[in-house]
Amino acid sequence: MAPEPALRLRGITKRYGAVVACDGVDLTLERGEIHGLLGENGAGKSTLMRILLGLETQDSGAIDRDGRAVTITGPRQAAALGISMVHQHFSLVDPLAVWENVALGQSGPVRRAAVRAGVRAAAERYGLAIDPDARVGSLSAGERQRVELLKCLRRDPAVLIMDEPTSVLTRAESAELFAVLRRVVAAEHRAVVLISHKLAEITTATDRVTVIRAGRVVLRRATAATTEAELAREMVGREVTLGAAVGVLPHAPAPAAPASSQAALRLRGLTTRPGLDDLCLTVHAGEIVGLYGAEGNGQKSLGDVLSGLTVPDAGTVEVAGAPVDLRRPGALSAAGLGIVPEDRHHAGVVLDLSVAENLVMTRLGDVSGRVFVDRRRLRRRARALADEYGITAPSLDSPLRTLSGGNQQRVVLARELSGRPRVLVAAQPSRGLDVGAVEDLYARLRRCASDGIAVLVISTELEEILALTTRVATIFRGRIVGELPTAQADAERLGLLTGGAA
Amino acid sequence: MTRTGAWVSAVIVAAAVVLPGLLIAVTGGSPAAALRALIQGSLGDATAVSQTLLYAAPLLLVAVGACCSARSGAFNIGQEGQVLIGALAGAAAGLRLAVPGPALLVVVLLAAALAAGAWAWLSALMNRLRGVDIAVSTLLMTFLAQQVVAFAVTTPWLLQESRLGAAAALPQSNKLPSRALLGSLGDHPGLQLNLGLAVGIVVAVLVAVALDRTRWGFRLTMAGLNPAAARHAGISVTAVGGIALTVSGALAGLAGAVLLTSPLSTNRLQPDISINIGWDGLLVALVARNRPLLAIPIAGLFAVLRAGGNFLAATGVPPYLVDVVKALLTLAFVAPAVLRRRSVIA
Ligand SMILES: Nc1ncnc2c1ncn2[C@@H]1O[C@H](COP(=O)(O)OP(=O)(O)OP(=O)(O)O)[C@@H](O)[C@H]1O
Ligand SMILES: [Mg+2]
Repeated sequence: MAPEPALRLRGITKRYGAVVACDGVDLTLERGEIHGLLGENGAGKSTLMRILLGLETQDSGAIDRDGRAVTITGPRQAAALGISMVHQHFSLVDPLAVWENVALGQSGPVRRAAVRAGVRAAAERYGLAIDPDARVGSLSAGERQRVELLKCLRRDPAVLIMDEPTSVLTRAESAELFAVLRRVVAAEHRAVVLISHKLAEITTATDRVTVIRAGRVVLRRATAATTEAELAREMVGREVTLGAAVGVLPHAPAPAAPASSQAALRLRGLTTRPGLDDLCLTVHAGEIVGLYGAEGNGQKSLGDVLSGLTVPDAGTVEVAGAPVDLRRPGALSAAGLGIVPEDRHHAGVVLDLSVAENLVMTRLGDVSGRVFVDRRRLRRRARALADEYGITAPSLDSPLRTLSGGNQQRVVLARELSGRPRVLVAAQPSRGLDVGAVEDLYARLRRCASDGIAVLVISTELEEILALTTRVATIFRGRIVGELPTAQADAERLGLLTGGAA
Repeated sequence: MTRTGAWVSAVIVAAAVVLPGLLIAVTGGSPAAALRALIQGSLGDATAVSQTLLYAAPLLLVAVGACCSARSGAFNIGQEGQVLIGALAGAAAGLRLAVPGPALLVVVLLAAALAAGAWAWLSALMNRLRGVDIAVSTLLMTFLAQQVVAFAVTTPWLLQESRLGAAAALPQSNKLPSRALLGSLGDHPGLQLNLGLAVGIVVAVLVAVALDRTRWGFRLTMAGLNPAAARHAGISVTAVGGIALTVSGALAGLAGAVLLTSPLSTNRLQPDISINIGWDGLLVALVARNRPLLAIPIAGLFAVLRAGGNFLAATGVPPYLVDVVKALLTLAFVAPAVLRRRSVIA
């Protein structure tokens, strides 16, 4: 007799008002498998997982754990049932140390030494290097992801759910993560659900795959028996040209407008401690420059400076030839610099404001008089942006929190791109977007450049850099360590440069 | 509200009703009689209603101010002290300034608002210069305010009342001239509609409009919800918070002036003139989830408990029971939100 599956979902349906997030989903999760879950932004993947964790309650449908029907009322109980999840967005407490964050989720008395030793042991066992005493606020996205994973693994879950864990990781980090997951399923016989928008990851890292579209399962198959093209087609429901998703985008087209000699953005000697060390970089109007490097080499600090969140210890930022007073709030934005921040929940959006308000929040003046906000103008503008950028929302008045992760990212993109900036900085812009949305994003960024906007793309993804940019600078330990035209760049050369060898 | 949230609320509301009843029964009283007394004392007749409405005004003013500061993320919990400072400044203005006619009332109200606003702003300043936590400093400033007022009313050359003859002067100020007092609206037999309530409602509506419809309100809300995103959008979070704190202090000060100039007090500055209105107003804002318009009925509810509670105390029931009810009701409204937030993090 075959063993019961670790988890079986039968006919799970969840509605939010008129939105059907999950529509009669059946899903079986075997022990010892990595199960890929694919779907467009807003397809219902996260909702389904939140139901498994007891954060939401399904309207109908049943869940069996090891063959027994269970009702999951909350994360505590899910943990008791051996279900644990790494969320799409980080749920760590910045001012606390790594070990404290790990201890947060557990019940009972907390013993500092024991927790720290536990963190070390788990880190050792799974190859997740992390310092238990580091403050989480100072960690890079990749390191935070490790903390999240450690937090989960310490609960010894039978079912481990990972909601887009690799969107913040470099390719090498992702490969490491998959190796860890493989060990977890093979040696420890756990079951893993892996959600990702990167088709290549799904095909290489999973055993079986389920595709959902608009809340319904449209494909269920052994991974070996499918192809990236088929998965993409099933996801969107029509034939698609496979581009960004599989990393075979054509080389960046020559810029429509030749890069002019005018420097639209000039960074001189930017230094923050820690983070940046005398960073100098120039971006001309009409070009797309890539800033490439492994996570944690100062990209976050640069993003913070360019978002106006931190004032650098030294150095200047010039926009269109004029230095910007970085101590004045909003000076950068007033000077014409738009930015898509890396961590959108931190500085990009206000989760408890409405979708419409988030779409206009940096340009409130456009939709208001001297004193009053003109609600009608605000809504009209928001509606236009939502349509143009394909944002799916329950309604424009719902809190941004209720949008799917990818749709939240689209809100930030729509707002910053539509601001007609002189300089556009996009940090990890494709994070969390589905295949179609990534292509749309790339097209828009190229159009921005050909309209004469200076575009700086900060990315840890080689494919993105190669597909999008005309020139690439590499960053290592807060410094620019190399610069070359993208046409001359390849994985090997960039790899050498980002290793700090230059 | 989530299902568990609704349950929690229901249980706590039930506790708010049952627990005090039990306590009364245990101490040998009759719960039904106590409830009757509570309602009799707050809504029973025109006099009772007048009393309730009197209490509602300062409660509402404090709560509306608290809505502002809480929404901006600069948590002011020192309203009790700001009420006192407002009353102090109002008394000083009303007794010392030679303003003719009813304009004196306006001057008293303005002086109270200005002084208490400046008092609260000191906390914003300390936060900016030294990083002192705003909740902590506003709270501590309350104790300072109590000392200041006590000093003022015991010091003859400040505000202590002047006595003719041999009788010792009490720790209180002279009575304000009657032209500086809040009058009644209209002429109803038995029922007094004090002007203070009109002031409170107008302020609540104005602040609601300012918070929900103006750029200022939008910035303030944003700064409170996500300071990083606000800074990114060009908002000076400290400045916005400082203004919100000042406004909330000013409204608490206005509440102090209302206390001073309405029949709730003897129209003299006394050390206990604030009668915990600052603390209760904070609870009103908490229950109203920082929405000024919602604060209007909630302030009414708390005023009912207060007026009825005083009456109840007169019938021999320990007055702290009313405080228990107040606390439990507040919990009933606040607990579900807290629980929900926790489950999201977990
Ligand atoms: N609390 C909520 N209220 C209303 N609608 C919601 C709520 N939560 C989710 N939704 C809606 O349910 C749908 C599915 O969202 P979900 O987050 O599951 O998508 P997803 O597949 O994870 O997408 P993504 O790839 O963008 O993360 C979306 O349309 C979303 O707007
Ligand atoms: Mg999701």
